[in-house]
Amino acid sequence: MAFVNLQNVTYKYPLTKAPVLQNVNLQVDEGEFVSIVGPNGAGKSTLCYALAGFVPHFFKGEISGSIEVDGKESSKSTLDEWVLNVGLAFQNPFNQISGAKYTVFEEIAFGLENIGVPREEMKSRVEDAMALTGIRDLADRSPYSLSGGQQQRVALTSILVMRPKLLVLDEPTSQMDPIGTREVFGTIRKMAEEGMTVVLVEHKMEWIAKFADRVIALKDGSVLLEGKPNEVLTSDLLVENGFGISRYTSTAREAKKQGIWKKESLPVTLDEAAEGFTK
Amino acid sequence: MHERLSFHIKRDSFIHNLNPLTKLVLTLTLILIAFTFPWYWTPHLLVLVAIIPLSLLGKVFREFSVTALRLILPAAGFLFLMQAFFQPVGSDVIFKFYFLDVTQESLMFAFRNAMRVFVMVSAFTLFLVTTHPSELMSDLTRRGLPGQFSYVIISTLQILPQIIAKSQTIIAAQRSRGLDTESSFFKRAGSLIPLVGPLVFGSLMEVEERAIAIEARGFTSKQTKTSLHEIPDPSFDQMLRWVLVALIILSIALNLWLS
Amino acid sequence: MLEKIKNNFNTQTWVLIPIAIGINIAVGQIVLVLKLPVFLDSIGTVMVAALCGPWAGALTGALSNVIWGIAIDPGALPWWPVAAMIGYMAGRMAQWGFFKSWWKVVVTGFVVALTAAIVSTPIAVYLFGGITASGSSFITAYLLQTGQGIWSAVVSTSFLTEPVDKITTAMIAFAIIQGLPKRTIGGYPKPEQVEAEGGTNKNQMYIAIGVVVVLVLFAAFMLRNILGG
Repeated sequence: MAFVNLQNVTYKYPLTKAPVLQNVNLQVDEGEFVSIVGPNGAGKSTLCYALAGFVPHFFKGEISGSIEVDGKESSKSTLDEWVLNVGLAFQNPFNQISGAKYTVFEEIAFGLENIGVPREEMKSRVEDAMALTGIRDLADRSPYSLSGGQQQRVALTSILVMRPKLLVLDEPTSQMDPIGTREVFGTIRKMAEEGMTVVLVEHKMEWIAKFADRVIALKDGSVLLEGKPNEVLTSDLLVENGFGISRYTSTAREAKKQGIWKKESLPVTLDEAAEGFTK
Repeated sequence: MHERLSFHIKRDSFIHNLNPLTKLVLTLTLILIAFTFPWYWTPHLLVLVAIIPLSLLGKVFREFSVTALRLILPAAGFLFLMQAFFQPVGSDVIFKFYFLDVTQESLMFAFRNAMRVFVMVSAFTLFLVTTHPSELMSDLTRRGLPGQFSYVIISTLQILPQIIAKSQTIIAAQRSRGLDTESSFFKRAGSLIPLVGPLVFGSLMEVEERAIAIEARGFTSKQTKTSLHEIPDPSFDQMLRWVLVALIILSIALNLWLS
Repeated sequence: MLEKIKNNFNTQTWVLIPIAIGINIAVGQIVLVLKLPVFLDSIGTVMVAALCGPWAGALTGALSNVIWGIAIDPGALPWWPVAAMIGYMAGRMAQWGFFKSWWKVVVTGFVVALTAAIVSTPIAVYLFGGITASGSSFITAYLLQTGQGIWSAVVSTSFLTEPVDKITTAMIAFAIIQGLPKRTIGGYPKPEQVEAEGGTNKNQMYIAIGVVVVLVLFAAFMLRNILGG
C-alpha cells in the first residue's frame, strides 16, 4: 500500500462549472521525492491543496474519489489534524509570513507554539531546522526585512520544523537565484533520504532531473504521463501538450532533427547536453 | 505616523522587568483614579507624583517627554481651548470672545479635563514604551486569552505600516498622474475611487492565501498552545496587582459615596 | 451565545481583521489629505461586520480605534465603544438582510449612524462635558450658547454629522464587497449575507458608487451652506 494514495479524485471549486481535477490517480511511496510538472491551469496547485487537506476542507466545493496519506483518509479527518502529518509551502513568500511574530526565530516557532510543543523542545527544533536550510544568521531579523528568496527559505523552514510525514511544495524556489535553488533542492533531497515523502510542483526542469525520483506530468486536471525524470521530461508528449521544457532538451531535439545529436535519449541538464554534444 | 508602530524601547529597568499584566493594571489604575477620585487636583498630582517618577524609574524619561510633547500636549491643549471657550458654565466672566464667554469655572473645568486626558494618554504611552507587544500577548495568552487575539493584535501592528506606506505611494502616484489633492472639490471626490481601489482590493485578495499559510501551521489546532518566551510573574507582581485593584475600588467607591 | 460569537470567527476572519483595520486607517488618512467633508474611517469595520458577523465587526471597530489612538491621535481612545457599536450594528443589519441591495445598505448606514450618535453622546457628556476635541464640537458649542441643554445639543450635533458619513461608509463597503470575485467571499463565515439581490453584483456596485458620489457632494454643499451662513 502506497504512502500517498489518490483514487479517482475529481474536484470542482464552489461556483465554478468545470472540474479542476479529473479522475486523478496517484501513488507515492514513503521517502519518495516526486515532482509534478504541467502548463498553467493544469491543476497543479489544486492537487497540492488536495494533498495538504485544504481541498476540500478549506475551499469546500464538490469532491469525489479518495485521498489517503499514511493510511488515513482525508474525508474522515479534520484540517487541523491533517496538517500535523502533511506540510504545505507555496510560491508567494510574502503571504506565508504569519505577521504574528517579530523575528525569524519566533516566526519559525509559530507553528510549534500552535500545536503545543514544550518550550525546550521547541527551541532545539527551531535551531535544527534553521541549520538545515542555512538561515541561522537570519534568526534575529524581522521576517519583513528579508528578500523574497530569504522569505521563501523561512517559509520552507517554518513547515519543515513541524516535521510532517508528507511535504507538499508548490514552487518553493520561484524567487531564488540558482545557488539558492540548488541548496534548497539539496535540503529537500536530504529530507527525502531521511524518510520524508516529498511532492514538489516545479518549473525548473534541470533541477527536477537532478534531484527527483519520479515525475508526474499533469494536463487539464489529469495525469498525462509519469515515470523516471529523464523519460518524462524529454517525452514528445510534453511538447505536443504545451509544457515548458528544458532549453537543453529543446536544443538537442532540434539538433537531433539536423542529425547533430547522435544519442537516442535527449538531455535535460547542462551536463547531459554537454556530454551528448561532445561525443 | 510611526514607521514600525512600536513605541517599545529596550532597556533594563525596574519597570521593564515588571510582568506585562502588572503594567497594564498599573496603567488602568492611573487612568481610573484620574477620572474618578473626587478631588479636583487628582490628575494634576498624578502627573507629578506618579507618571513622571515612573518614567524616570523606567529610564525612559527623555523619550517619554518627547512623545508627550509631540502627541499628548497638542491633543490635551486643543481640548483645553475648546472647553475653555465653549463650555457654558459659571457666571464669573473673565473675558469675552465674539459670542463666547470665558469664565473662571470654564477655565478650571477645561484644565482638569485636559489633565485627565493627559494622564490617560501618558500612562498608556509609558506602558507602551516599557512593554514589548509580543511579551504582553504571550503573557495574556498564557493566562487564557485565545491565541487568535495575539495574532490579530501583532499582525495589525506589523501590517499597518505597510498599508500606510502603500497608501502614501498611491497618493504620490495619483498626484503625479494629475489627480492633484489640491485641485477642485469635484476632482478630489472623483479621485477617491482610483486612490482607494487598488490598495483595498490588493489587500483583500491576499486574505485567502494568508489564511491557508497559517492553517498549515496549526493555527486552528485544538492543542493548548505553548509559548517560545517565558514571561516571569513573581509574587511581588501578584501582590502589587491586588494593591492596585484595591486602589481602583477605593477611588470608585469614594466617587459614588460623595456624589 | 458563545456559539453565536464563535461562528463569526474562522481563520479568514482573523486574517481579514488586521487588513480591515489597515483599510480603516489608510482610507481615513487619505480622506484627511483629500479634505473631503466626511471621515470614512470605518469602511473596514463595516466590511468585516457584513462578511463575518456583528461580533467580529465590534472587535474590528474597537481595535481599530485603540490602534488609531495609539498611533495617530490619542484623543480618539475614549471613543472605542462607538467604533465597536458601529461594527456590531452593521453586523446585525447584515444578519437581518440589509446588506443585499444598494437601498437596503442606505438603511443600514442610517441605522448605524443613529446608533453611533446614541453611544457617543454619554461619552461626550460625561468625559468632556459635551465639548470634545473634534471639529464638530463647534456646532455643539454654538447650540449650547444659544441656550440648548447639553444632551440635546450633543445629540443634535451627532444627528447632523453622522448619517452622511455612515451611509457613505456603508455604501463604499458594499461596493467593495460586490466588486470582489465571488470565490473570495465564499471563505468568510457569512457569504450569504452579501449576495446581491435586484440586479447583478456589478450593477449594484455601480449604483453604490453613484450614491456615494451624490452623498459626498451633498455633504460638501451642506457644509458650505452652514459655514457660509
